[in-house]
Amino acid sequence: MQSFETLLNESAQAHGHLCPGQVVGVRMAILGCRLIGLSVPLGKDNLKKLIVYVEMDRCTADAVAHVTGVRLGRRSLKFMDYGIMAATFVNLDSGQAFRIISTEDSRDLASVYVPDISEKGNRQREAYKRMPDSVLFKVQKVHVKLNEYDLPGPTRCKSVCSRCGQVVRDRREVIVDDKPVCRPCSQQSYFDHAREVCWPGMNWSPQLEGDNSPGEASVKLHPEEILREHHNINDSRKRDCLDYKN
Amino acid sequence: MITKINVEDAVGTRLAHDITEIRPGIFKGPAFRKGHEVCQEDICHLQKLGKNHLYLIDLEMDEIHENQAAAILARALAGSGIEWQDSPREGKISLYAAMDGLLTVDTTSLAAFNMIDEVMCATLHTHTLVRKGDQVAATRAIPLVMKRSQVERAAAIAAQNGGIISVKTLRKAKAGMVITGSEVFHGLVEDKFAPILSAKILELGSAVSGVVFAPDDENVIAGAIRSHLEKGCDLLLLSGGMSVDPDDVTRKAIRMAGAEEIHYGAAALPGAMFLAAYIGEIPVLGVPACGLHHRITILDLILPRILAGERIGKKELAFIGHGGLCKDCPACHYPHCPFGKNI
Repeated sequence: MQSFETLLNESAQAHGHLCPGQVVGVRMAILGCRLIGLSVPLGKDNLKKLIVYVEMDRCTADAVAHVTGVRLGRRSLKFMDYGIMAATFVNLDSGQAFRIISTEDSRDLASVYVPDISEKGNRQREAYKRMPDSVLFKVQKVHVKLNEYDLPGPTRCKSVCSRCGQVVRDRREVIVDDKPVCRPCSQQSYFDHAREVCWPGMNWSPQLEGDNSPGEASVKLHPEEILREHHNINDSRKRDCLDYKN
Repeated sequence: MITKINVEDAVGTRLAHDITEIRPGIFKGPAFRKGHEVCQEDICHLQKLGKNHLYLIDLEMDEIHENQAAAILARALAGSGIEWQDSPREGKISLYAAMDGLLTVDTTSLAAFNMIDEVMCATLHTHTLVRKGDQVAATRAIPLVMKRSQVERAAAIAAQNGGIISVKTLRKAKAGMVITGSEVFHGLVEDKFAPILSAKILELGSAVSGVVFAPDDENVIAGAIRSHLEKGCDLLLLSGGMSVDPDDVTRKAIRMAGAEEIHYGAAALPGAMFLAAYIGEIPVLGVPACGLHHRITILDLILPRILAGERIGKKELAFIGHGGLCKDCPACHYPHCPFGKNI
């Protein structure tokens, strides 16, 4: 196993800075893997056994991902937007799962563990190195319900939105009136007022690089033209949607 | 699971916990012990104690009773030199010094322990001199029934460095003493330092291996130090010459005698000009003139810690600052006062 300091430095470099959250995240990853019978850094085989659910999008999440090697794009990293400084480590082989929660007590205790540093960030960073796991974390043994559509590997299912025709992977569609609907069409989306647009340089491709930069290759559209363009597209899209409904 | 029943219906049941009786100024203790089978005659007594209801406990697998919890906590908290008996009274276990010595409390871990919900431990101040049999701490689980995992986590924190509370025996040092000052050396002023320092050393169970008087001459003082070391002393105390006058050469002499690690200045009054140094592993303490005028100075805070094996450095002399101001009371009640109770 690599030393804690090495893991921390590498993680901080990847993340962009060395902050208290990095220390907590690296330690969380080491403990989480240890509890499910793996040690960091994970080799290729062990990496396939691991899924981590992070419950916050903070520095700690980056450190957990860096140390364990789990990635969103590999489906081994799951983001649950709970706003809780916690992560759950699941061993897919054994089914073992432990949820590690960073304690609020550890924040209050930072000045006790490191009384000689007054600056809050530095004090927390050093304190989180000194505290034992028992102070820094609470641990729960949990059961994680995994279905096959959550697992890493190739896409297991595709369906087509009955309203807009968008392909939806791995059963992420919702069923409305017995028909599959994508999240944006079902109003369960993080955005609204979507309008398809044209944009300057829209014919650029990497293959053309050298001949034309995106700027040069662009058809320079006046803002009014862009506006007109997307109204047109929007109208046609509305017609498409109606077609699908029918 | 806890069920509440009327006290009138409790005849034949066993008490789930000790029931405390307080008669102001006369008695405080358990009127009934856990496990006592309630009989008809008890009902009136219980009602007088304000108990109109009682709990019946049926523990779940992951729960433990407060007495069991207190025993787990006490076992984890107790380091070396601590004894306790697994006979909780009112859910509380007291911890005692198993020998004379210096109480040492890992205050950081104690804070972390007490941050766990529903457990507590209260101690005497760390660095308190204690006698065998003195109560030094007590612990308890606060609710009647606790989750086992929570108790075990608190116990893990308590046990991490061999227990939060320990008593260290004071070694029996052979202390060499150098009394500096030309005025004393030449007999212009009668020395008062040697008897004061000797009494403090003897009080802690150590011995004075020899006293040498030296003028304000760094070579002579350094020679006196070397002479003590050659005779086998394992602790050195120097008095005087610790100030900022040109005649104050004791610090220089200590360096000349071979001290590599020298910490001059401490965050205590009286005792700001205290010095702690090491020649090899032998501690060298420079006691400023305040030692003549005040019954208690920084020496009384540091010497027991030195004898208990603690290495005193910059950090230790700095952290003493909070609580390091003597109130200089007309009648000194040390150690029953805030002086030195910094951490």
